[in-house]
Amino acid sequence: MVVPTPKTLFVVPLVLATTLLGAGQDLTLPETWAAGDKEAALIAWGHTIAMQGNGLPGNTACAECHRINGGGMPSVGIPRIAGQTETYIYREIRGVQKGTRYSPYMDGIVQNLSRKDIRSVALYYSTVRTPKLHDPAEFDPSLRELGRRIARRGLWDRNIPACILCHGQNGRGIPPNFPYIAGQSKSYLMGQLLSFAIVKRKDDPEGLMRGIASKLTNREIKAVAQYFASLEPPVYGKIPEKNRPDRLRLIPDKETPNR
Amino acid sequence: MTPRRLVLLLLPLIAGFLFDPLPTGASGNKNFQFFAPPAEGTLPNGPLGRLIRQGELIFIHTGQYAPRYVGNDLTCESCHLDRGIKPYSAPLWGAYGTYPRYRSKNHQVNTLEERIQGCFRFSLNGTPPPVDGKTMKALIAYAFWISRGAPVGLYLKGQGIVRMSKPTSPPSPDRGKAIFEGRCSLCHGLDGQGTQSDNGQVAFPPVWGPRSFNKGAGFYNVRELAGFLKMNMPLSKGKSLSDQQAWDVAAYIHSQPRPEDPRKAGKGT
Ligand code: HEC
Ligand code: HEC
Ligand code: HEC
Ligand code: HEC
Repeated sequence: MVVPTPKTLFVVPLVLATTLLGAGQDLTLPETWAAGDKEAALIAWGHTIAMQGNGLPGNTACAECHRINGGGMPSVGIPRIAGQTETYIYREIRGVQKGTRYSPYMDGIVQNLSRKDIRSVALYYSTVRTPKLHDPAEFDPSLRELGRRIARRGLWDRNIPACILCHGQNGRGIPPNFPYIAGQSKSYLMGQLLSFAIVKRKDDPEGLMRGIASKLTNREIKAVAQYFASLEPPVYGKIPEKNRPDRLRLIPDKETPNR
Repeated sequence: MTPRRLVLLLLPLIAGFLFDPLPTGASGNKNFQFFAPPAEGTLPNGPLGRLIRQGELIFIHTGQYAPRYVGNDLTCESCHLDRGIKPYSAPLWGAYGTYPRYRSKNHQVNTLEERIQGCFRFSLNGTPPPVDGKTMKALIAYAFWISRGAPVGLYLKGQGIVRMSKPTSPPSPDRGKAIFEGRCSLCHGLDGQGTQSDNGQVAFPPVWGPRSFNKGAGFYNVRELAGFLKMNMPLSKGKSLSDQQAWDVAAYIHSQPRPEDPRKAGKGT
């Protein structure tokens, strides 16, 4: 992936965070605030972690990197996390903690989060809405058709299904197990595909993504990453009633919150 | 050189007169050892091209484009993967040139149209579209197009569903349940009822229950289902189940409730 230099990673977001945190008070509050006291309390705690950290050593505010509303930083490959489902965010942070997802930037930050912290912050970000941010990456027009084809038809002669079969129409995700990939930045998408391909990220159920990414050429990775980066992300990752996580067991992580 | 090879060699030349040259493989993969349908974007213009396209749409969004004939959440593509192209999922190119065919299921010689009617009735738990209607015409045109260049009267490698040899120990629904919950429930649900996308459409199809295929379908046969699963499931991980596991998980799916065979439920012949 495009590795952000320590300078861009920390100086830029710090400046941004200090200016933005002040304005953070008038954040539009998520709909679920009204949904029940317990959930509201979790979300409130998640909001605190996102903006200030949980107070324990090493735990930096998520907003420093993922920006105030979870929109990420496309220029340095930090993903948007707003509107991913609680289940998915929870699982990824646990993956980083357990080392099944290699993530040098997140590693130190999440080690001191308790299960409840993770659940709270995951719940919080699942309800945040953020428009797509500008992605400064270069888009190669000669790869447009290839990217579209891989995304919508797949490369079945190598047993690669269309990405949208698992990531939903236009990459909007099939909550909760299949994250949205539409509107992520090109550098982040390429980074994760490479990471799956060389098995630095191995938290994917059934090895589905490792299998697929390792069969893609670099050119194909570039093409398909740029295709999904050019789409709009979904506004809000709601889990359809039918897909309650208790119906869809997650293979690597049985502790996933049951809601 | 065998006559069959000769035919295969000559076919591209013959076909070339009708349409553009034949492609080597969908994405130029030289190791692909199966029949390759025409490349995308080579559809002929005009009424035939439009009919073929219509057939393709019916094939992949059956409930949307042929709602009158569909009685569950499946589409043709649910079982005939990659729009009826993937080997070992009964691809259209393996079927087009091999009908009419005698079938012991109904003790008759069946045309391709009748074969497709069977899939509507049993696999889609619906009503067969008339042989001379628009839906059938479009599907046949699509099958014709996908099979462009395939020999007539010969069985090609990858056609149909793999025929499993007998399992070492009798298929066990109990063992199958554990496999299903471990490897399949992520998409199909612990209760087999499938998954929805956030706009309410079917994302992963149900494998049993009221919205899945009925007891008259080919997949209600454990061996047939095991052959499909062996080569195609979990999605993109074909051949990762052992033969015994494929039998076991097929037996588990078979043991679950689903709509009755319409022939037995007294809904007609
Ligand atoms: C130092 C910057 C930094 C901070 C602070 C940070 N992250 Fe991240 N985060 C990243 C980067 C970079 C990635 C993606 C690349 C990777 O996996 O290494 C990432 C990935 C993620 C992902 C995975 C997203 C996906 O789509 O798979 C989640 C979820 C996440 N972070 C949540 C958080 C939360 C919650 C916090 C606060 C507790 C946090 N991050 C703090 C840099 C940061
Ligand atoms: C067979 C199902 C399947 C298919 C097909 C599939 N994916 Fe995935 N993908 C997954 C799953 C499951 C995950 C979540 C992995 C995890 O939980 O760590 C995932 C995760 C990802 C991620 C990481 C998302 C994030 O936010 O970090 C990217 C990027 C991705 N897929 C890209 C693709 C592309 C591009 C294609 C098409 C070439 C594709 N996927 C096809 C199942 C699939
Ligand atoms: C529930 C799974 C399922 C669905 C859905 C389904 N089929 Fe089938 N289909 C089968 C099976 C199983 C066979 C038998 C394959 C064999 O044993 O050769 C078959 C056979 C066929 C054949 C003959 C293949 C051959 O090689 O002889 C055609 C053509 C066909 N189906 C078309 C369709 C069409 C068109 C639709 C949608 C209207 C459809 N099918 C829906 C399971 C399904
Ligand atoms: C990554 C998601 C995924 C996993 C895991 C998966 N499937 Fe599927 N399955 C699909 C999709 C998608 C289809 C339909 C294909 C299409 O529409 O292109 C399908 C189709 C089927 C069908 C035929 C259609 C139907 O609904 O009856 C059966 C049977 C089936 N799967 C069984 C299984 C079994 C058994 C396993 C575990 C060994 C499994 N699947 C694992 C995604 C998955």
